[in-house]
Amino acid sequence: MAAPFLEVKHVSKSYFEAGKEFKVLETVGFELAERDFVCIVGPSGCGKSTLLRIIVGLDTPTAGSVRFEGKPLVPENPQVAMVFQSFALFPWLTVEQNVELGLEARHDPPERRHAQARKFIDAVGLAGFENAFPRELSGGMKQRVGIARALAVEPLLLCMDEPFSSLDALTAQSLRDEILQLWSTPDLPPKAVLMVTHSIEEAVYMADRVIVLSNRPGRVVAELEIDLPRPRNRKEPEFFGWVDEIYSLIV
Amino acid sequence: MVARKRLRWVGLVLIALGVSFAIAFPDSARQAATLPLLASFSLGRMAAAYLLALVFAIAYGTTMALSKRAAVVMLPLLDVLQSVPILGFFPAALVFFVATFQGHPAGLEIAVIFLIFTSMAWNMAFGVYESITTIPKDLEDAARVFALGDWLRFRRLVFPAMVPKLVYNSMLSWSNGWFFLVASEIFTAFGATYARPGLGAFIADRGDAGDVAGILIGVGVLAAVVLTLDALIWRPLSIWSERFRIDTTGTGQPVPRVSGVYERLAWLPRFTRLRQWLGSRVRPLMERYSRLATRFDRATSAHRQVMRAIRWIDLGMFLAIFVVVVGSGLAGLSTLLLKPLPAAAYTIPEATLRSFSRLALAYAVSLAWTIPAAVVIARNPRASRVLTPVIEVSASIPATALLPLILGFAIAIAPSQGTGTELAAFLIALFAMQWYLLFNLIAGVRAIPGDLDEAARAFGLRGLAYWRRLLVPAMIPSLLTGSITAWGAGWNALVVSEYIRFGGVRPYTVTGLGSLIDIATFDVPDSEVLLLSILTMVLVVLAMNKLLWRPLFKRAIKRYRLEG
Repeated sequence: MAAPFLEVKHVSKSYFEAGKEFKVLETVGFELAERDFVCIVGPSGCGKSTLLRIIVGLDTPTAGSVRFEGKPLVPENPQVAMVFQSFALFPWLTVEQNVELGLEARHDPPERRHAQARKFIDAVGLAGFENAFPRELSGGMKQRVGIARALAVEPLLLCMDEPFSSLDALTAQSLRDEILQLWSTPDLPPKAVLMVTHSIEEAVYMADRVIVLSNRPGRVVAELEIDLPRPRNRKEPEFFGWVDEIYSLIV
Repeated sequence: MVARKRLRWVGLVLIALGVSFAIAFPDSARQAATLPLLASFSLGRMAAAYLLALVFAIAYGTTMALSKRAAVVMLPLLDVLQSVPILGFFPAALVFFVATFQGHPAGLEIAVIFLIFTSMAWNMAFGVYESITTIPKDLEDAARVFALGDWLRFRRLVFPAMVPKLVYNSMLSWSNGWFFLVASEIFTAFGATYARPGLGAFIADRGDAGDVAGILIGVGVLAAVVLTLDALIWRPLSIWSERFRIDTTGTGQPVPRVSGVYERLAWLPRFTRLRQWLGSRVRPLMERYSRLATRFDRATSAHRQVMRAIRWIDLGMFLAIFVVVVGSGLAGLSTLLLKPLPAAAYTIPEATLRSFSRLALAYAVSLAWTIPAAVVIARNPRASRVLTPVIEVSASIPATALLPLILGFAIAIAPSQGTGTELAAFLIALFAMQWYLLFNLIAGVRAIPGDLDEAARAFGLRGLAYWRRLLVPAMIPSLLTGSITAWGAGWNALVVSEYIRFGGVRPYTVTGLGSLIDIATFDVPDSEVLLLSILTMVLVVLAMNKLLWRPLFKRAIKRYRLEG
């Protein structure tokens, strides 16, 4: 059998302060297959963002390992891209330059970079804003740039850390739908999406599978297959059923 | 529009003044014909020193920010260097360079550039360090996730992040630099006068000759050079640097494009053809550069080592220099302190006290006029329109260039030469200090948010209550920033203000630390007195910074800062 696409195995993380140990994550493990859209939910402070940082290589686990396509994860893995809660756009770069960032790091020739950047700027609906600076954009548009930047490097795995929490409710909802739309387009690169959120509704709305983390130190409480048909309707009783079930797991 | 018209009028008036000057004083005018050349010499020195300072600041600041181990040594060192009144070392350094090169002009040139460098580098290095250490974590993360290599990371993240502070500090450094340039282009030691052709030397020379018209022309050209640089380089740069400010909160605010700044100069010929031709030449070059940069990036493995090697060589060089300087200083100090103190050393406490009171007086006078002036200029658009050009022109002239004029004026109105020199010393200190206060205060008042002001008025705060509850508290942080800079400039000014040499055999001196240093260098060379005086000055300045300004500043930031 082939190695799983992404394998998180017995990952623990502790911080040490003044000789005291603070456990953030405790033996967290799960797998991601290709075409998986997985959400990690948990109460605030359960270490879900730390877990994501470990998976993309921004942080190292105290114990355990993360394997990507069977190989141990190297930091700054070019096949993993990330969308940040705070957008993390470079304020002095234009939209296009921001989107080209990862391509430039990969030493793509300028023509290819431009073409690739335009393609994904179009894909997130920002055509015409190539030369705007992030400061000139609204929050929703900023996050579109963040998404285009992540998609432009054609990652195999797309990680998103609370991508909608800094947006107002309406913008967040339309962006969620757009992400799902992009995800359903077969020729777009990511083979799997891993998203961290504190909103249970958001997780049930978007994910094929929801991984529920417990309060600190974070442990996997449950892994739930959300088998609702898409597009999902938040008003249906089945939807509420899933939300209630996850809610009871966390509290 | 109005501003542009006014600018044109000012230009015309200046030209008319110049022409009538040339007719009235033909001799001075002949002299003045050489001024563009002299100005370019001075400018060249400044540019050389600035480039050195820029490279140093980026290298030093980056190294310090990247390596915690290096920062342990480098940070306190920079802190001391920044607060030390460099001009205290200035006479000694000049003599050192001149002696080393045995009076060869190259030695003098190096000395001048070195001195200007020392007046420019430290604050810039601090700015670089602060900018890098305050880069938001999410941007660092993004750089890592998208696997930016060292060079790309520097180009895209680290360098842009340091631009705003670098530009701001460069402007400060240039005005410091002019002050030192004018003081260092000409000096007298061991009975001989050493001079390098330049604006500073010209002004001092005209001062010696008692040629008021010549002095005025020299000062005017200097001011014109400073103002032109300001209009063509620093203003556009500081507007451009707005783009590099990190604030993630803003949405929908337009980011200034540089071209807007040049609109004000729209009446200048545009050379459209020439520019298009140049553009068509330059664009392929830029593309080639970006290709080269990409290839350069790709050669990461070799390149990473090179970068590291450069950093280490750089660090090693500076550390070696500092070790030699500090080591020899300590060695000298220990031998000095083991011996009985020279007689002149006992005058140091009194000299310190006198210098300090002189500065305190100048500071008090500066405060007394700058606080109301700042409020008027910041609040009253008409006053601002009229006064801002006047103030900018006056502030563009370094106090050192005004030396002959101030001295002449002080001696003319004072009853005796002693009080005249004392007055001159005070006035020079005043001119060195007041602008920093004024500009910081204006910025402070302008930064008061409109809603606060409206709220204060809506609740009927008027007169004294308005000052007490809104203006003064809002001004305190900028008042402290201005005070720190002003006192730094004041200490620096001592060496030129307390000991003024003109034409005559005897210099005009008043008792003070600055004159002690000068006398021990130039008149009666005495390394012990020199070292002790400099040491005293350094200690006083450090003590004031550590015990007075820093604590005050920390408290003020906590209480009176106008941000959310």
